[in-house]
Amino acid sequence: MRIAMLGWEFPPFVSGGLGVHCFELTRALCRKGAEIDFFMPVSGKKITPSCPNLRIIEVAKTELAPYLVFTKKGKQASYGDNLIAAVNEYWTKCEDTVMREAAIKPYDVIHSHDWLTSRPGATLRKKLSTPLVQTFHSTEFDRTSWPWDYVLDVERAAAANADLIIAVSRRTREQVCRLGAPADKIRVVYNGVDRERFAGSQVDLRMVNSLKRDRKVVLFLGRLTEQKGPVQFLHAAEQVLSAEPNTLFVIAGKGELLPLLINMSIVLGISSNVKFLGYVPEEEQCKIYKIADVYVMPSTSEPFGITALEAMSSGVPVIVSKTSGVAEVAKSAIKVDFWDIKMMAQKIVAVLRFAPLSRTMVRLSNGEVNEHTWEKAADGTMRVYNEAISEYGKQVPALR
Amino acid sequence: MDVCIYFQVHQPLRLAQYSIFESTTVSPDGGWAHKGKKYFDADLNAQIMDKIAKKCYLPTNALMLELLEKHPEFKISYSLTGVFIEQCKEFSPEVLESFKQLARTGRVEFLSETYYHSLSYLFSNKEEFISQVDLHAKAISEFATPSKVFRNTEAMFSNDIAYHVERLGYTGILAEGLEHILGWRSPNYLYTVKGCDRIKALLRNFKLSDDIGYRFSAKWWSEYPLTADKYANWLSQLQGDCVNIFMDYETFGEHHWSDTGIFEFLRHFPGEAAKHQNIRFATPSELVEKIPPRDDIDAPQVTSWADMERDTSAWLGNEMQTSAFSMLEAMENSVKDKQDPELMRTWRMLGNSDHFYYMCTKSLSDQDVHNYFSPYDSPFDAYINYMNVLTDFKDRIEKS
Repeated sequence: MRIAMLGWEFPPFVSGGLGVHCFELTRALCRKGAEIDFFMPVSGKKITPSCPNLRIIEVAKTELAPYLVFTKKGKQASYGDNLIAAVNEYWTKCEDTVMREAAIKPYDVIHSHDWLTSRPGATLRKKLSTPLVQTFHSTEFDRTSWPWDYVLDVERAAAANADLIIAVSRRTREQVCRLGAPADKIRVVYNGVDRERFAGSQVDLRMVNSLKRDRKVVLFLGRLTEQKGPVQFLHAAEQVLSAEPNTLFVIAGKGELLPLLINMSIVLGISSNVKFLGYVPEEEQCKIYKIADVYVMPSTSEPFGITALEAMSSGVPVIVSKTSGVAEVAKSAIKVDFWDIKMMAQKIVAVLRFAPLSRTMVRLSNGEVNEHTWEKAADGTMRVYNEAISEYGKQVPALR
Repeated sequence: MDVCIYFQVHQPLRLAQYSIFESTTVSPDGGWAHKGKKYFDADLNAQIMDKIAKKCYLPTNALMLELLEKHPEFKISYSLTGVFIEQCKEFSPEVLESFKQLARTGRVEFLSETYYHSLSYLFSNKEEFISQVDLHAKAISEFATPSKVFRNTEAMFSNDIAYHVERLGYTGILAEGLEHILGWRSPNYLYTVKGCDRIKALLRNFKLSDDIGYRFSAKWWSEYPLTADKYANWLSQLQGDCVNIFMDYETFGEHHWSDTGIFEFLRHFPGEAAKHQNIRFATPSELVEKIPPRDDIDAPQVTSWADMERDTSAWLGNEMQTSAFSMLEAMENSVKDKQDPELMRTWRMLGNSDHFYYMCTKSLSDQDVHNYFSPYDSPFDAYINYMNVLTDFKDRIEKS
């Protein structure tokens, strides 16, 4: 099977879960015999394809991040001033490049990811008469409290144009339904985790000595944006410290809320127990998990939340918000309401305090992460490809 | 063929959502509450009692009374835990009254067990177990003659349990009719127990019991729908001296709702049974009295009727459960030293086996059963709340 996959990022050029997903998914699909051309903007970094069946084709230069940034001037969120122009440029060039490659050797399926590549996907579906699969890793509803009409329109079109849609959780499926997609067109394929990468990493003694010392560590890892719940995390920290004072709260990640959070930790009087690490490169993330006694993902809206599986793979007990996709599958995680700060704090204290709890959670998650593999995600994706091909064949028999 | 029908009747005293963060004011009444907080959720317990009284206890007792009046040969037996009787007195006096009415027919036997539906037999010191058996006998004698047949919590049974129970003066004991105890032998006879003198074991015929208790409303079951005449016919064809049909009383109206036809089944059963000349009804005491034992059984390990494993793993299968149980057990002497009835009662209530059942982390179908009965979202939440209460209670004992 030959796939034209339209992406936005690929390791080592990664700013979110989308890049990790594309890297792991393509690798697993190729192992199953798929032949994938992965189209993406010029990254300026050296990208080595992870397997022989995978070609990385860099299309157009862009310096834009696919996630929201706050402008310095005011509260209004934006994607940067010339985002639309850059995106349009990428879309056009992407279409041309895929057409050129298809002329050499045709594709069986076009697979686009998120709104950033959905429009060329739809155009190519028509021009090449090839079925289109669209994955939603998140929707505009998850990324911001102030959904941007422009992006919503693109997402609505994406939901309408695709032959089949992949949602990364049941929760995301509901969000995609809000965009107007009929539920019977959506398949849920959960993300996986490369367990070995995290289970195998060693404890970094330097990090223990400089950061953890004799303290228990509660970890937050994610973009510092409202949807990830770092504000709730700090409020919970204040409560936890009243019961367990010898605790360090580590916040790893960057984002527009950083100044606010630093300020908040001072106002709450807990700044000596909160450590901001800033952006942590991927290879360092494994080490951060290793010093954590509990990982907390208090997201107010989380389409999936791969980091929870990463923490589980690292042998760390996990607390996740009920409003996350991973909560649907992670049986060995404690689930909390992101708004119930007291309860969240209570669960954190319990994991720190009661060793039998923490050990039982880790023991169960060791078994559980083996079920959440990229292999399984690739199987699910492959099924969707096959279904899309046969469905499309029924719709336009003349063309096939 | 003697048909012996026995129902377990129990409702646990569920804990309140206990917060570790509330202020520390001392409870004026010095009751179960510590620092002004309640350990047990009176509202929730009253609400559940009320719900199940309406769905099960009241209608089923009314029907049983009607059947006993209509069929002079019909006999049944129950065991009511002390925790259940207390909650009846507090929340549903009419339920207790209806059991008293049944007792007055003279054809209903009330078996003995531990007052607190506890795992107290598993304490290394058997004194507490003996006290709870004694307490239960006192509670039952308020309205009926306590039986000389014993049923340990969730039918827990072993050579050793039978030995201790015999020394307390009991002549019979209920047990699960497990293949690994019986080997090629049938549960439809009475047996003596290895290491004991005369006490007879009444073994549950789990196939015929579960046909009603579990499979009655299962549409996947090849025998669905189960009718009273079909069931009576099965009983009449059995080989042996007796058949022991044991189940939770909540089977009627709660596990199987009224619309499944369970009450109609019950209503017609004694009449259908009467059509077979070889079927007679008998209470456990009557069986013990008139049926000679056929052989000796040997149960070195504790068995029970819980879960697929039919052992103690439903309550003591993971580290959370065993460590919480050890902590409870270790408090025995310090609680008793206080000679405070209210503290004593609280400690014993914390020994309800149900608290440990909620902490079970088994997977597959058994977990669904645990979840069905649990007031918690997960076993972790159950453990955390229990430990918060128990830790607080321990603190209180140590400080008082």
